[in-house]
Amino acid sequence: MKALVVYCHPKDGSFNAAVRDLVLTKLRAAGADVRLCDLYARGFQPVLTTTEWEGYLDCPANCAPVDRDVADLRWCDTLIFVYPTWWYGLPAMLKGWLDRVMLPDVAFLMPDGKNRTIRSGLGHISRLGVFTTCGASFWLTKLVGSPGRRTLMWGVGLLLARGSRKVFAAHYLMDSSTEESRKAHLARVASRMDRLIGRRVAIDAPRMQAEAAE
Amino acid sequence: MRVLVLFAHPCAESFSAALKDTVTGTLRKRGWDVDLCDLYAEGFDPVLTADERRGYHAVPANCMPVQGYVDRLRAAEALVFVFPVWNFGFPAILKGFIDRVFLPGVSFRLEDGLVAPNLTNIRRMAAVTTYGATPWRAWLAGNPPKAVVKRALWYVARPDKLRYMALYDMNRATDGQRRRYLVAVQREMERF
Repeated sequence: MKALVVYCHPKDGSFNAAVRDLVLTKLRAAGADVRLCDLYARGFQPVLTTTEWEGYLDCPANCAPVDRDVADLRWCDTLIFVYPTWWYGLPAMLKGWLDRVMLPDVAFLMPDGKNRTIRSGLGHISRLGVFTTCGASFWLTKLVGSPGRRTLMWGVGLLLARGSRKVFAAHYLMDSSTEESRKAHLARVASRMDRLIGRRVAIDAPRMQAEAAE
Repeated sequence: MRVLVLFAHPCAESFSAALKDTVTGTLRKRGWDVDLCDLYAEGFDPVLTADERRGYHAVPANCMPVQGYVDRLRAAEALVFVFPVWNFGFPAILKGFIDRVFLPGVSFRLEDGLVAPNLTNIRRMAAVTTYGATPWRAWLAGNPPKAVVKRALWYVARPDKLRYMALYDMNRATDGQRRRYLVAVQREMERF
């Protein structure tokens, strides 16, 4: 198992960092090779530039500005996202990672003479995990249409291997979370990770982060 | 009527730029006061920083890092987004504008932990966009940008009029389809 964990949160010690650590612990305990992509720590630049746009369809030169990320994406068979939901969607930092790295001939193949529509380019990935926190309630998020969850579970999910295993967990109403609700959420993340890995992986009880927010 | 046009495309020769020119040109012809915010040209930084996250709920100090943009948003009576849909969503530069500028105390207020509309100066709102995806594929993915505009952004502004215009399947669109879409956008802006 080769897992790429894409993590996006500006603050150290956030609840999202606790989720990330739990995900990494589970993966390592399962014997997986793990690569962590911490977007804020790397100072990833999320804006697709004019030059990139002009060369967008020019494969494989289009990969050059983000070659490390493209290599990670091509290497992994398991893709996991850990991030806070802002405005019902992905933080700009994470959205920009998709914009710049999910390129033609990497994530998808453009329509051509034989094919009328876009085809999947990530057939080597068969597991997708999405873990997030939302300020909004479950029902309000549903009412808006869960744009963030759908961007990853359906948008990116459509590009993966057929019959991929997909898991999702969100802590809703994050601003009024309690130590209990956060603990319960970590337990949920742990069981989703077991499902993603395909068996129960024993680990020590996850360490709680001191900080309450997100 | 004062309108803020938020434009998010890196290239001046793009079809999105043509849409932006149609929007601004048509509204100016009607005598509207157009404030064009070209996010790429202005070098907008879409990354919400750790300090901004810490101070997110501190009204009004939370506006300081983006005060100029907050002032422009508050001065507007209408808001038009012109952008291409990339990977089923807003380009990061536009998503970051929403993350950083649509702050508590600007676009919404928190009252007893519930979100209340606070962008009620915006009476008309429109999105003009293009998709690489077919309508069917966009629907399958839940059409996230449409959901955010028509529900989340609608909620904080409660505009009298909200329009979401889209040209799907851009990669295979003919010149005729593109021309017809430009005309439709122009007509909408004449009535807007």
